[in-house]
Amino acid sequence: MKEIVIISGKGGTGKTSVTASLAYLANKDVIVADCDVDAADMHLLMKPVNDRKEDFFSGVLPIIDQNKCIKCGKCANVCRWDAIPIIDNKYIVQPIDCEGCGYCARVCPADAISMNEQNVGDWIISDVKTNTKMVHARLGIGAENSGKLVAKVKNEAKVLAEKLNKDFIIVDGSPGIGCPVVSSLSGANLVVLVTEPSVAGIHDVKRVYELVKKFGIKAGCIINKADINTDKVLEIHQFLEAEDIQLIAEIPYDENFTKAMTMGQTIVEFDPDGIGRILMNSWEKIKKIA
Amino acid sequence: MKILLTATGTEWDSKMDPRFGRTEFFFIYDEETEKVETYDNRAIANEAHGAGPLTAQKMSEYKVDVLITGNGPGGNAAAVVTQTGTKVFVGAGEMTVKEAYEAYKNGELK
Repeated sequence: MKEIVIISGKGGTGKTSVTASLAYLANKDVIVADCDVDAADMHLLMKPVNDRKEDFFSGVLPIIDQNKCIKCGKCANVCRWDAIPIIDNKYIVQPIDCEGCGYCARVCPADAISMNEQNVGDWIISDVKTNTKMVHARLGIGAENSGKLVAKVKNEAKVLAEKLNKDFIIVDGSPGIGCPVVSSLSGANLVVLVTEPSVAGIHDVKRVYELVKKFGIKAGCIINKADINTDKVLEIHQFLEAEDIQLIAEIPYDENFTKAMTMGQTIVEFDPDGIGRILMNSWEKIKKIA
Repeated sequence: MKILLTATGTEWDSKMDPRFGRTEFFFIYDEETEKVETYDNRAIANEAHGAGPLTAQKMSEYKVDVLITGNGPGGNAAAVVTQTGTKVFVGAGEMTVKEAYEAYKNGELK
């Protein structure tokens, strides 16, 4: 069983559109994992049903026991995020402002503050329209993705893939290069970099590739919107050659991407003979190099 | 040589854990004394962020010469591992602990 992670560094390069298309093409051979939890949108294209949800706990939140509180205000004074205002003559922690550092609980002379694990959302296993299962997550307002959550989603996907005898796990990775991306990459067999020929696109794909290199994972690259700037495409080619990254495909800019999305379809369903064909070839290549 | 392998269990036949930071167990083999030591790292699943550096710190306590894992360590963890002078070998993610050790001995790991 191989784990294929799709990342981009920069947002808006078409990472999720490509991931969902690959998942559509691979159909029942794969388990899909959406680890881009901060702005999850695979579900829009994969149409999950029969959700099996479980609470996800992460981080801690202070709770002030109002019976013990002596209203000295020390907690509010030390709070760097001003997360403990006085409301109706009581010190109340504002969950959205709080970072969970625990300084307030440490300085409280009355021992009135306890730190409690936070239920920040759910992780979910669903049936999707491609005759397989998808593991994803839904975070509450103000909650953030973490290496922990990504590890959880990927672990569940792995367990399912083993149980159901699937050949692949396709992971929609997180943007950026931070902790969730590190966790997305950890344990992967192949990384597919989706980039675009723009200054930011190239900058960010190079930056995230630095991380991929540290993990020593094989990488391939899909250049999306490849006809919008030929100079920048050449620059990407040079980068790929220098780093020995296989170019999997170049996809032209196409408004069908947007049209497909508004209909809740992958581009492969919407335009099987155009862009769909390019992605079909891409999936065949990816299977070979994984 | 003292060798640390990232594993999903505590036996020679256990599968390797391909991850460094969030590995479930350390499987530590001391070639001189032929003794095996294990460490249960599963509490790491509760860490929202920074699993890699924490695991690297823990590893440094065992003073191992060689680390064998699947891939990684990533940025911050790699910085810690480099500091300790431990040699890193990757590409053993899909093997058992025993197979990984043998592959290392045969020079098959990078």
